[in-house]
Amino acid sequence: MPDSTRSLRLGVCGPVGTGKSSLIALLCRELSGDLALGVVTNDIYTDEDARFLRSAGVLDAERIRAVETGACPHTAIRDDITANLMAVEELEADFPGLDIVLVESGGDNLTATFSPALVDTQIFLIDVAGGGDVARKGGPGITRADLLVVNKTDLAPHVGVDPKQMVRDAGSVRDGRPVIALSRTDPRSVAALVDWVRGRLATYRAGTLEPADPGPMAPHSHGDGVVHTHAHAH
Amino acid sequence: MTSSSARSAPAEIVAMLLADARLPVAGHTQSAGLEPALADGMEPADVPVYLELRLATVTAIEAGTAVVALHHLRAGHDLASVVEAWTARTPSPALREVARHQGRALLRLLVRLWPHEPAIAAVADLPAAPRAVVLAAAAQAGALRPITLARIVGYDDVQTVVAAALKLTPMDPADATAWVLDAAPEIEAMAERVATLTDPDRIPRIGSPQIEAWAQAHAVSTRRLFRA
Repeated sequence: MPDSTRSLRLGVCGPVGTGKSSLIALLCRELSGDLALGVVTNDIYTDEDARFLRSAGVLDAERIRAVETGACPHTAIRDDITANLMAVEELEADFPGLDIVLVESGGDNLTATFSPALVDTQIFLIDVAGGGDVARKGGPGITRADLLVVNKTDLAPHVGVDPKQMVRDAGSVRDGRPVIALSRTDPRSVAALVDWVRGRLATYRAGTLEPADPGPMAPHSHGDGVVHTHAHAH
Repeated sequence: MTSSSARSAPAEIVAMLLADARLPVAGHTQSAGLEPALADGMEPADVPVYLELRLATVTAIEAGTAVVALHHLRAGHDLASVVEAWTARTPSPALREVARHQGRALLRLLVRLWPHEPAIAAVADLPAAPRAVVLAAAAQAGALRPITLARIVGYDDVQTVVAAALKLTPMDPADATAWVLDAAPEIEAMAERVATLTDPDRIPRIGSPQIEAWAQAHAVSTRRLFRA
């Protein structure tokens, strides 16, 4: 059980180019009116994402910290989370009373998800431009992240993808976990995303949010006929 | 849950633990200055020379600082004079900043591994202890000999450079590992040189302006894979 007097730590991960930085900028714009926010970015090769967010002007520049990952974005959010934990803890120490710290992973592949020791809850992001079959391909983030966002639905007509089918495909592998089809230009989808985040914050503050590991592994069985997802706490 | 057996772990195992790249101290974010060196045109074939340069200069300062800090911890002396000596020998603000950052990462781990160790509490009380001083507290907790501590500093530095080389300028990893073993005599010579030090004034004082200049350039680069 995390200490619920600290901030809610919300992870955003997903492949390169799916819109993680834009989603974080969007959340900052929507939430910073009444919530105190901080952001930690994990750039692959620059502090580009941190600079993008700072220049977007959605948050004070000093509330946005960049972590270099030594070309190991996967390691930095999963097995050795030290650099990220230190950045989160420093933000929390520098700005007492933060409500949410958003942690943006360096764009990686479909198997990269956050350690539950780093974030309390996580969003996995894919987009329609990555192809209609991505959701069907699955992977731990798509199947078991707390929220799956299918982004850039406004581009669907231009890339020949049916976003409704993509959401149906995702829903069929997610065992009831939520999926949001998001477009920055669709206020209803933005509201759904913001509601989800506020809901997680309320659950966290109530002390009932158990961080879950989407896992690096696909569901499997050990010959006993019981399917294990390893999405539970060990 | 706290560890009760850490205190009685054999010193050799503690030494291996501290030298292991899998130690969760964000080691994967460090290149020991190799990234800016290569970016400035240093040839990959010169990595072994770069290793020697570090062992003779900045790494000897780190190892000397660690050994003297260990002596001070064992003798119950104040660490301020050790930190001061290290600071005077580390003129690059970027190198000082990264050493303190690494010190914080290591301390975070040590507090969990040895929650009741006075040496670790003493280092935690310092404002922003550099890595060499924090490592000395780990050596005290694990009952390491000074020369073992100095070897760890040298070996870890060499492995950090070589592992980063494999990311920055890929090659047969067997060739890269041969560089590590080839550097062993220099690691050992450096360790022997500092192992008996007890006085902060005697910590080696041979800096490397080139390494410092690269560190400064890297700190303001907007294109980098490694923190330092």
